[in-house]
Amino acid sequence: MNFTGKVLLTDDEAHIRKFIGLVLKRLGSPVIIEAANGQEAVSLYEKHKPDLVLLDVNMPIMDGVQALTQIMQKDPQALVIMLTSLTNRQIVEQCATLGALDYLRKDLPRDEMIALLTKIIADCFGPEDSSSKEEAAAP
Amino acid sequence: MNPPVEPPKPDLQGRKVLIVDDDRLNLRILSRILKPEGLIVEQVYSGEDALAQYATFMPDLVLLDVIMPGINGFETCRTLKARYGDNMAPVIFITAKAESDDVVEGLAAGGVDYLPKPFRGREAMARLKVHLQNRILNEEQKKLVAQLSAANSSKNKLLGMVAHDLRNPLATVRGLAEFLRDDGKDGKLTTDQIDLVENIYSVSQSMLEMVNELLDLSVIESGELKIHPKPVSLTEVLERSVTLNNINAAKKGSHINLKSVDLPAQLNVDGPKIKQVIDNLITNAIKFSPPNSSVSVEASQTAADCTVAVLDNGPGIPEDEMHKLFKDFSQTSVAPTAGEKSTGLGLAICRKIIEAHGGTIRANNRPGGGCTFMFSIPQPA
Repeated sequence: MNFTGKVLLTDDEAHIRKFIGLVLKRLGSPVIIEAANGQEAVSLYEKHKPDLVLLDVNMPIMDGVQALTQIMQKDPQALVIMLTSLTNRQIVEQCATLGALDYLRKDLPRDEMIALLTKIIADCFGPEDSSSKEEAAAP
Repeated sequence: MNPPVEPPKPDLQGRKVLIVDDDRLNLRILSRILKPEGLIVEQVYSGEDALAQYATFMPDLVLLDVIMPGINGFETCRTLKARYGDNMAPVIFITAKAESDDVVEGLAAGGVDYLPKPFRGREAMARLKVHLQNRILNEEQKKLVAQLSAANSSKNKLLGMVAHDLRNPLATVRGLAEFLRDDGKDGKLTTDQIDLVENIYSVSQSMLEMVNELLDLSVIESGELKIHPKPVSLTEVLERSVTLNNINAAKKGSHINLKSVDLPAQLNVDGPKIKQVIDNLITNAIKFSPPNSSVSVEASQTAADCTVAVLDNGPGIPEDEMHKLFKDFSQTSVAPTAGEKSTGLGLAICRKIIEAHGGTIRANNRPGGGCTFMFSIPQPA
């Protein structure tokens, strides 16, 4: 896979962003934009229009559920994957209702995480040339 | 003869006694017996007054005359019992004669004892003391039980919080170690460095497993274990679990064989939780069997239930330790054969998951050696 899209990676914990950032780089050469809370995520979403959003649920200032709601309001086509630490079915279902594409457990073994993200990205952007929407539109 | 050793007697100072009698002379005599002992005495003259006074005075003991104008003593006692249930203060009836019919009816109405007239000061006080002390001990016990269960539930909460907060950082440590290990494979690390990384990886992995078990336990203990049954192919769950666990088993030169699977196509269970049980039994079988062992997994069904059995080649469980197997934090004297870690929680969690499915889990030593762990889940009727 050679994923070159823009990813907005949101988590309040820097070590999680570090780890998931490395996981994303295994999928190709994505452009990674980092946000540390929901508020940052919403404003960075508007600024960068990323191809994919990874959004933590529990965050200070603005949590993932609120950020998801706002992002989906601004862009109903947004592709958002929730980052969860527990399979809290209620939250997962609530986010799915709000328009989240899927969820990713942060404590998954690395290779499972790579496999899951590979599948999600292949489903969204096609298996081979997984470049970003804008780049794909360019000749 | 030595007197029996008695537990320390609680202090009766300041305890409250409600005396109910229409005969004021009786009231005076009883008050005179009780007050020197430091008891607080309140007197009323009828059953109706007793019911009203009880609610505000909240006595520790009630002395209740039987024959009074208005509602009699037995009726008063029955009403108190209906209102206060097991929390009602002990009621001692005052009876003119120790007539056995009265005594029996009094005890049936919820009284604990009777005091015959005429009163003998020391005997009356002795009886009163016994019942007051029981009452106080009883209250203290209730308070202790409440304190202990509050302490236990905050322990569970703490356990859950700690485990939950440790999980993400540990997962990161493990994940980053894997990236570093890849660098090692690319020749960017020395052999010593690769060894260090392997250590970081395996330690964080086993810590993560322990933390997950603690988290499971705290969820189960707080009564939040919820089973979400869906039609699941148990055969597929078994196949997946055996395949995955064979990767780890191979590191010990061992192998897991899935044989004789006879199961219904679908069973209504919580798939991930049942997989957790199967994984746990298989992991244990590998842990406690010598290297280069062969572990068998078998599944069968009857009209009543489905059974999954895991057969190891370990030393078996000493019979006198069998009862410890499925309890929290209990480990038997049998140790893993390659220094693997164990929290002593895995089987306790398995038991709770299986019981939540209405099933049973058990273990027995095989005459030929080795141990069999199996669980059964009822088939829908």
